[in-house]
Amino acid sequence: MTIALSISDVHVTLGQNHVLKGVSLDVRPGEFVTLLGASGSGKSTLLNVIAGLQAVDSGHVMFDGVNVERRPPQKRNVGVVFQSYALFPHMSIGENVSFPLLAARRPDKERRAVADEMLALVQLPGMADRSPASLSGGQRQRVALARAIAANPGILLLDEPMAALDKQLREQMQVEVTRIQRKVGITTVSVTHDQTEALTMSDRVAIMCDGQLVQVASPEDLYRHPVNAYVAGFLGEANLLPTADGRILDDATDAAFAGTAVLRPEDLVLVSASEATPAWAVEGTVRLLSFQGTRFRLELQTDGGRKVVCSLPTALDVSALGIGSRVRVACRNPERVHVIPAAEQVAREAVAA
Amino acid sequence: MKNPLARSLGWYRGLVILIAALASLLLIVPFLILVSTSWTEGSFILFPPTGFSLQWYAEVLSDRRWMGSFGLSLWTATISTVIAATLGTAGAIGLTRVRSRTAQRWIRTLFIVPIALPPIAYAVGLYGVNVDLGFLRGTLVTLIVGHALIAMPYVFVLVSGGIARIDPALRPAASTLGAKWPLILWKIELPALLPYLLSGALFAFIIVFDEVVLAVFLLPPGMQTLPLRMLNASQEAFSPELTAASTLVSLLAILVLGLIPLSTALRKRRAGRSVSASSSSTSRRAARPTVLEGVIE
Repeated sequence: MTIALSISDVHVTLGQNHVLKGVSLDVRPGEFVTLLGASGSGKSTLLNVIAGLQAVDSGHVMFDGVNVERRPPQKRNVGVVFQSYALFPHMSIGENVSFPLLAARRPDKERRAVADEMLALVQLPGMADRSPASLSGGQRQRVALARAIAANPGILLLDEPMAALDKQLREQMQVEVTRIQRKVGITTVSVTHDQTEALTMSDRVAIMCDGQLVQVASPEDLYRHPVNAYVAGFLGEANLLPTADGRILDDATDAAFAGTAVLRPEDLVLVSASEATPAWAVEGTVRLLSFQGTRFRLELQTDGGRKVVCSLPTALDVSALGIGSRVRVACRNPERVHVIPAAEQVAREAVAA
Repeated sequence: MKNPLARSLGWYRGLVILIAALASLLLIVPFLILVSTSWTEGSFILFPPTGFSLQWYAEVLSDRRWMGSFGLSLWTATISTVIAATLGTAGAIGLTRVRSRTAQRWIRTLFIVPIALPPIAYAVGLYGVNVDLGFLRGTLVTLIVGHALIAMPYVFVLVSGGIARIDPALRPAASTLGAKWPLILWKIELPALLPYLLSGALFAFIIVFDEVVLAVFLLPPGMQTLPLRMLNASQEAFSPELTAASTLVSLLAILVLGLIPLSTALRKRRAGRSVSASSSSTSRRAARPTVLEGVIE
């Protein structure tokens, strides 16, 4: 079973803090949406609102078009994987996984069958009799996931699911969780502050900032067409330069430019001084050149004092790029340049102020 | 072999060990003297004891008054402990459901205050209740209630400490899995808190078993709990019977306290056997609190 989730204009106040300021989000059945934001942006609160662990001041939460904001968590039929996994320490793995069926007063035999089936799904067969304390971090997470989906919930909620794992295991589990989510086909909302995780796992990513959703889009769309400088800077490295009439205006004063161009470091290439200047070019002095394994990272300072970062292939001869030398970099593919209109910028700042 | 603390102390370690040894002697020597006086063949409490016999132990164990007092103490203390453990645990768990921080602080203080109040205040107050309510006269109700009150804070403090150590996400996790509060209480919270509850109850029992002030005021005429009989015995004739009885009670307490680490060790070994080699012993220790863990803190 899987459901459509619809959140409209939800406000939440905790004590003096206005944590959620009118959040609206629609999630299609079976979709994987990640809430991405800095800590304190309200993403965990939004997850708790969906789970029913946090009451709303105003606004609606709808599961398949039915209002559920007054329903307690017991009756929402959600599966939650907590950051700490919250496995019951005195119960065996099997009892943990079949706990939702115990709560639903299902017979013993059915509980054991479901526990075995779920443990097989998360690739921990035959572990039912062991205690949670005897498992590794990754195994515990699998058990928490198995428990969350054991009662066939309509929606799966993941609260920073990878935060407690080390980097290697994290990448492995991202693939694993996505595999299980696709196999079960369950609507999933995940919370994270790790952008790699968000990009790897999600169909769509919702960027949250200061209690509001800034942009909800597919990972590629977010990266290529950020709606504002916050999103551009939050997701990967970005060079933000003032622009007007399809050119970069390095020496522009605040009022004179029509928008901000977002240039990704990997889209920039070196152009020699003899070449005709391409449209999206910027000149500067080399501040830093560092070897990063798969690429060189070149940092320039423009005449206007702005920092520009550029990725160069490792095959390149970099002997000419000493610190202080003048270079020109450009984006040869104009389609790769995204311009955030200035009006958007101003409007955004007005909201924030 | 040497731990970092030992290494950093250097030669001062000798001094520390000496002071520690003296302090332990200070605690243990009086008890050893007391024990030795009960071996005496004579009929006076003397140190060093004259000769060696167990006649006073036989005397105490065969005396129906001593054994009656022991039995009375045992069952009144048990009932008081059960009441204290129930109320203390309920209070500690209930407190986590209180939303307001200020209210939480106040309630916590009120639950702990009985430790600070002198037992004589309770004794006099409950004596008044005994006198005013005629149907209570001649019963043990006020004594048991008073003892339960005195013991409750210990359970409350230990169980509260346990609550602070278990994962706060357990309850929300259980509720999103469909469990209502009775199921959460019985299947999640109480089992997780059981070690803390047991050590709290043990403390409560030891304190109540030894309590004499309330017993003086509230026992019906003709009944004596063990500590009260000891007190009276010390005032009448200072016979080795008294030290023999004290020794027996102390041995019982040591036995009970010794059983707990033993049972914990057994349970751990059993848990260890069912678990494959992949687990580390440290993670298991972190997840399974031992009975006395809360006490040591």
